[in-house]
Amino acid sequence: MIETDILVVGGGPAGISAALACGRNNIKTVLIEERDFLGGQLIKQTHRFFGSKEERAGSRGIRIAEDLMNEIKKNKNIDLYLDARALGYYEEEKIFTVLQNGRMLKFSPRKLIIATGAFEKSLSFENNDLPGIYGAGAVQTLMNIYGVKPAERVLMIGSGNIGLIVSYQLIQAGVQVVGVIEAAPEIGGYAVHASKIRRLGVPLYTSHTIKKAIGNEFVTGAEIIELDRNWNEIKGTEKKIDCDCICLSVGLSPLVDILSQSGCEMVYIPELGGEVPVRNENMQTSIDNIYVAGDLAGIEEATAAMLEGELAGLCAANTFINDVKQDERIEKIKNNLEVLRSGPKGSKIRSGLNKLIKGETFFQGGRNTGSEIEAFKKTGIPSGENLRSILPDEKRINETPFALIECFQEIPCDPCVNNCPFGAITEGTDINNLPKIDYSKCTGCGSCISRCPGLAIFLINKNYSENTSTVSMPYEMLPVPQKGEIVDVLDREGKKIVSGKVVKVLKNEKMDKTNVISVEIPKEFFNVARNIRLVK
Amino acid sequence: MMKEDNIIVCRCEDVTLKDIRELIKRGYTNIEEIKRITRCGMGPCQGKNCGQIILREISMITGIPVEKLTLQRYRPPFGGIKFSEVLGENNDEK
Amino acid sequence: MRIEKHPILTFERGKEIYFIFDGKRIKAFEGETIAAALHADGIIKYNTSPKLHRPRGLFCAVGHCSSCLMTVNGVPNTRICVTRAKEGMIVHSQNPRGDLND
Ligand code: SF4
Ligand code: SF4
Ligand code: FES
Repeated sequence: MIETDILVVGGGPAGISAALACGRNNIKTVLIEERDFLGGQLIKQTHRFFGSKEERAGSRGIRIAEDLMNEIKKNKNIDLYLDARALGYYEEEKIFTVLQNGRMLKFSPRKLIIATGAFEKSLSFENNDLPGIYGAGAVQTLMNIYGVKPAERVLMIGSGNIGLIVSYQLIQAGVQVVGVIEAAPEIGGYAVHASKIRRLGVPLYTSHTIKKAIGNEFVTGAEIIELDRNWNEIKGTEKKIDCDCICLSVGLSPLVDILSQSGCEMVYIPELGGEVPVRNENMQTSIDNIYVAGDLAGIEEATAAMLEGELAGLCAANTFINDVKQDERIEKIKNNLEVLRSGPKGSKIRSGLNKLIKGETFFQGGRNTGSEIEAFKKTGIPSGENLRSILPDEKRINETPFALIECFQEIPCDPCVNNCPFGAITEGTDINNLPKIDYSKCTGCGSCISRCPGLAIFLINKNYSENTSTVSMPYEMLPVPQKGEIVDVLDREGKKIVSGKVVKVLKNEKMDKTNVISVEIPKEFFNVARNIRLVK
Repeated sequence: MMKEDNIIVCRCEDVTLKDIRELIKRGYTNIEEIKRITRCGMGPCQGKNCGQIILREISMITGIPVEKLTLQRYRPPFGGIKFSEVLGENNDEK
Repeated sequence: MRIEKHPILTFERGKEIYFIFDGKRIKAFEGETIAAALHADGIIKYNTSPKLHRPRGLFCAVGHCSSCLMTVNGVPNTRICVTRAKEGMIVHSQNPRGDLND
C-alpha cells in the first residue's frame, strides 16, 4: 500500500497543474499518467495561447508544457508514475488501484484529483471507418509529436478552435488543407484562427456536412452537402472533394469512466460535452474526497484546464493545511476563470456550468453577444465595415508607420496590450473587450505583431516611397523569404493580388519563430495585402 | 438515401447504424440492452465511440431527451463493492 | 512521410531501427510508435474488420478506439498507436479478434 496525501490521475494540463499546486505547498503527491510521457494535449499545441499575462498568454502551448513538466520532475514532493492506468476507487476503504507494467499498485490517498481529460466524438457518415479518417488528436499526434505527415490533402470536418488550429498546423507541416466544413451557419472557434487559414487560401464551408467518404481501401475523396436552417440536407448541393484524409474535429466528450465507477453523481450537460461530474466551485464532486479538473469537468480551452487544475489542487490540499495565503490564491483563480469565461465566446460554458448544480449559480454576469459583424463570423474575413472601423484618420495614415489590429471578436485575450512598449493598446478592464489603439501613442515599432496569438496585427507604412507602401505581417511558415526576394502578395482570402519585394525579415529569439516579414507593394494595396507566398 | 449499413457505429464489434436503428425500432430503447445484444461498447474501447451515437439515435426515434436516457443508464457502481471482496483479503502487500 | 523541416518544431529522432510488418522491412526511429513508422512509410491500412471485412487504419492514436490492433511479437490485440517500435519486432495485421490470418 502506498500512502500519499494527494493522488492525481492524468498528466495533461489540468493534472500537471493540480500536482504542482500541491507539490509547491510541500504536500506529498502522486501523479499517475496512462501513457509513457506527460503533457496530454499541451505538448501538441504549437500555437500561442490566449488568455491573460498571468496565464502566460502569448506563449506557445509546447513551451508552457516544457516548463511545467520540468517543474514536476524537479519537485521532490511529487512522485510520478508513467505507463500507469487507473483501475478504480474503492470509496469505503479509500483505496485506489493502478496497473503499471502488469503489476497492480494500491494507493491510499487522502484526496483524489481526477483529470483524465476527454476523448474525441465520432460522426456518422457513410464509410466513416475507412483508413484515412482520423480524429484531430491523431493528426496532431502524428505531425507534432512524431513529425510524420498524416496525409497530403486533408479535409477538415468541424470549425471549432481545434479544427481551425489543426488546419493551420497541417499547413505548417507542409500538408494541403482542401477545406474546412462546418455544419453550423457560423464558425465555431475564434474568428482570428479562421482568418489565419483563410489568408492561406483554405476554403471554409459553413452550413455543410460530410455525406460520405469515398474510397475502397483508403480515403480518396469526400462528398459534402449543404444544410438548410433546420439542419436538413439540401438535395442537389452535393459536392465531391478530392482528399486523402478526412480529419474529424467534431467535439470532445469528457472521459469520466473512473468517476462514474467510483459512484460520483453525474449529469448530462450538452454544453459541457456530455456527461460530467456534479461538482461545486471548489471542484469537489459528490464524493467529498474526489476533486476534478480540466476537460472531464466540462470541455474548455487548455488555459481553463490549467487554472482548474491549480484550483482543485489547492482546494484539496487546503482541507488539511488551511493556509490563508492559499485562500487568497484560490479566490484569485476563481476570479480568473470567471473572467476567461465571461465574454460572448464563453456563453456556452457559462450556461453549462449554471446547469451543473441546482440552486448554485456559477455566473451572474457575462456577455452573450459581441459587437462583431455577422459576415465575419461566417467567413473569417473582415468586412469593409469592420476594416473601416479600425483605420486611423487620413492624416495619421499618411504620417508614420502604424499598427492595425484586425481583431473583431471579443475573446479573452490581451498579449497585444501587454506587449506594446508605449502603452498604445488598451482593452479597458475586461480582457474580453476588443483591443483599442491610441494612434497618438503608436510609434509603429511593430513589437506587438509577433506576440498576438491570433496573428491579427499588421504594421502599415503607407508612404514607404512615392508609389509604394509596406505591410509587415507575422509569418510562421517555411521557407522564410530572404530580404530582396520577390514574392506573391495575397489578400485576406489567400488570393494573389500583386508581386511584391521583401524589404525586411525580422526574426529573433524573443519572437519564438513568429517572424515578421515586410513587403513592398503598390500603395493602393496597403489595406488589402495580408499574406505572402514564395514563388518557386 | 443514406446507406445505413455503411455507417459504422462501433469499430470493435462492427456494428452499423442500420443494426442500431433496427433494434430501436423493434423496441430496444435502453442503451444497456442494445449493448448486450450488439456487444457494442463491450470491445476494447469500452463504448467511448458508440455510446453517444446510440443515445442520440434512441432519443431521435423515441423522442426521449438524451438527459433522461443517460440517467436511466446509471447502474449501481462498483464503488459500492469493497476492495477486499474483489480481490480476496490481504493478498499482495505491494 | 516524415517532416524534415518545421517552422516551429524540431524533431529529435532516435536511433534508426527496423522492424518487420507482414514480411516487409520498415524503418523507424527509436521512440516512434509502430503506427507512426508505418504512416511514414505510407502504410495506412492496418487490418480488416472481423465481421464485415472492412479495411481499417488508425483513428484515435491515443489507445482508445481499437481501430489499430495488430499482432506484435506474437501478442495479438496490441494497440500499435501507443506501442513503440523496437529493433527486430515482428508485426502482423490481424482482424480485431486477434485470430492470426496465417
Ligand atoms: S506598433 Fe509598437 S507602438 Fe504601435 S501598437 Fe504595436 S507595439 Fe505599440
Ligand atoms: S489583437 Fe490582441 S486581443 Fe486580439 S488576438 Fe491579438 S493579442 Fe489577442
Ligand atoms: S488508433 Fe485508436 S487505439 Fe490505436
